[in-house]
Amino acid sequence: MANTVQAPTAGAGVFFDGRISTRRDVRVTLGARTLTIDDVSGRLLAEWPYEEIDGLPAPDNVLRIGRHGNALLERLEIFDAAFAAAVDARAANVDRSGGMQHRQRLAVVGLSMGAVASLLVVAWFGVPALATRVSPLLPVAVERKLGAAVDMQIRSSLDTRHAGAAFECGAGKTEARAALAHLTQRLEAAAALPLPLTFTVVHRPEANALAIPGGQVYVFEGLIDAARDADELAGVIAHEIGHVAHRDGTRAVLQGAGLSFLFGMLLGDFVGGGAVVIAAKSVLQSSYSREVEAAADAYGVGLMQKAGGNGRALGTILVRIGGATEPGMKILRDHPDTRARVATIERLAPAVAGPSMLSMQEWTALRGICKG
Amino acid sequence: MASLQASADRTGGVRFLGRRRAYARLLGRGAVLLMATLGLYRFWLMTDVRRFLWVNTAIDGETLEYAGTPLELVLGFLVAVAVLVPVYAGFFIAALDLGAIGEMAGVAAFLGLGVLGQYALYRARRYRLTRTIFRGLRFTQDGSALVYATRAAAWWLLTALTLGLAYPFQLASLERYKMRHTYYGALPGRFAGAGWKLLLRGLPLWLLIVAPIALAIAAFIEAVDWTALSAAVAQGGDNVMGRVEGGNPALGEVVVFAVLMVVLSVALAALLYPVFQAIVLRWWTSGLRFGAIEARSKLRIRQVYGAYMRFLWWSLVFTIVLGLLAIPLLILIGVLAGKMPETGAGDIAATLVGLGGYVVAALGYSTIYRATVQLSLWQLGGETLQLSGLDLLDHVEARGGASSPLGEGLADALNVGGY
Repeated sequence: MANTVQAPTAGAGVFFDGRISTRRDVRVTLGARTLTIDDVSGRLLAEWPYEEIDGLPAPDNVLRIGRHGNALLERLEIFDAAFAAAVDARAANVDRSGGMQHRQRLAVVGLSMGAVASLLVVAWFGVPALATRVSPLLPVAVERKLGAAVDMQIRSSLDTRHAGAAFECGAGKTEARAALAHLTQRLEAAAALPLPLTFTVVHRPEANALAIPGGQVYVFEGLIDAARDADELAGVIAHEIGHVAHRDGTRAVLQGAGLSFLFGMLLGDFVGGGAVVIAAKSVLQSSYSREVEAAADAYGVGLMQKAGGNGRALGTILVRIGGATEPGMKILRDHPDTRARVATIERLAPAVAGPSMLSMQEWTALRGICKG
Repeated sequence: MASLQASADRTGGVRFLGRRRAYARLLGRGAVLLMATLGLYRFWLMTDVRRFLWVNTAIDGETLEYAGTPLELVLGFLVAVAVLVPVYAGFFIAALDLGAIGEMAGVAAFLGLGVLGQYALYRARRYRLTRTIFRGLRFTQDGSALVYATRAAAWWLLTALTLGLAYPFQLASLERYKMRHTYYGALPGRFAGAGWKLLLRGLPLWLLIVAPIALAIAAFIEAVDWTALSAAVAQGGDNVMGRVEGGNPALGEVVVFAVLMVVLSVALAALLYPVFQAIVLRWWTSGLRFGAIEARSKLRIRQVYGAYMRFLWWSLVFTIVLGLLAIPLLILIGVLAGKMPETGAGDIAATLVGLGGYVVAALGYSTIYRATVQLSLWQLGGETLQLSGLDLLDHVEARGGASSPLGEGLADALNVGGY
């Protein structure tokens, strides 16, 4: 039996006692319940029960152990592989193969993925639902303040050429402004919203309009150019008033804030996180806006009829401008198919050939609001 | 390993035992898990990275131990969120309430968060130090994070006002503060680097980068007919640029010259950045002191360029692989867009592929950067050091306990983490 390979029960090590940085060469003995550390002269330095021994981070070929919950940072290092394996076999909390750590990591990854899934569910359902519940409760004053803050951002992003008065149309054009006021006052009176609306025509080539929380509506020059008559222009404006009445802008702002909070704040500095937030926002918001746009269409048609205009005019201009009533719409196609929208509008509005909402003279003046 | 005989002035060095490949594998696996968990895995990855770097760094033959745990980082992060949420909400409400002054709130928020970031930096350093164990003793840091943040903010202001010339003195002053409050066991640290030495070494770089811009500004002042320009601008209207050009026939050439000079300046800055890094690293490590233990660095600039060459090489490989993978996806988008144009499936797929591509690319390049440049800087910073006065290492006494991980969490939420 003399030559059988046996796991060693004693070996050499290096010990630091945690009080002083002196490095001591020691002899380590593996007892039945404890591990004992003696210095070269045989003096006992420490005796650790196996269940209190912790494996500690160390280079690949070194076993570094300490005593669990010890305020003193006693450290024992073992360099001999066979002896290290013998210690590992006796102490349950020494994890040289990494199996314990591997299991922990699997649990972490699994739980993290669960957290991500639940975050996505909250982002997809919870945030919109919350924004929908909260936005009607916001007092008008808060909505106006919110609108003012958003307005500053939107203005600076729309006004790309040169910031200033030239961005707004209608300076010195009394007749054109009177025509616009006539048109919008009829719509506003019919809508009877709790907050006053402001209409501004701006130098932008796109055939779009934009409603901002708090009742600011931007009409783009390109929309006036694309409209064949005053009722078509009024139709799109009525659709925008629908957004104000339904508080869609406010809800979008709340949703955006909620989403950027969820992803940006909780997930922190993950590389590219910012881009994920923005893209997530636009993708998520485009999916809400299908119903929202349909609701604004229905509101717009009803408002046109109440104001004595042609309810179908919104449909005819939609076909011409490809269904994009708001800027950026074409890119994500966040509208229901334009044809389906037009069909719905025609179902809602009977074909009427009433008088136009503006006289020929007023309409001509309004068309020139951005010219010259 | 053991050397018990004590000469009067024992010298030694730092060795890095880790293998590049093992580190790259750790980072690569981490990057995949980061994606799968939308970044939640970063606390575990950061702890793994530190453990790897620490335990493979042997100072005078004895390795460091990193005792921090991922859960501490998660806890610190949660506390940071609890601190930051009211702050963010406060700024948001202030911006709404004050209207035009709200713009100012944005600037104040930026500055306030900058100061908070310095605060977090100091606390995070304390966290890392207290989790660093060497020969059975802990490193500790005292001093006030608030004082540090105030000093750092003042220095940053001065550095900005002097176009960067105060930067060496800023580094020296802040490093003195940090090291003065750093201890290994009961052995106090200090920083012996002098700001003017760094200034002398860095001044040629500064001049090379600033000179083209100064030339461009000088050319502008020389060439522009200022009275004609102000007249043209004052007149206002739509055709300001046209009239400006009419009044200053030489302006076109000057603009071209200025653009070229700015491009030159940026290109020089990019090319010389490794030189700057090498100079600062060498100066910084050479100034570190613990009691009588002194460090002297022999870092060479070409060694840092070597690290960047490795980064460029692996980035090239990664870019080619990414490009090859993108081809089938682009074809798929084309097919989707062609077959069902009215559903927008093509657009949605393009958005998703673009987004995924962006995340993979950003994460990939940052992982390559960590596996090449950052690892090399860590290794070079250590291995080029010559330590003297090491006799002292055998009898340093213990002092101090662990610190809270709060700073680390704040640093994480404010994106100033670092190693």
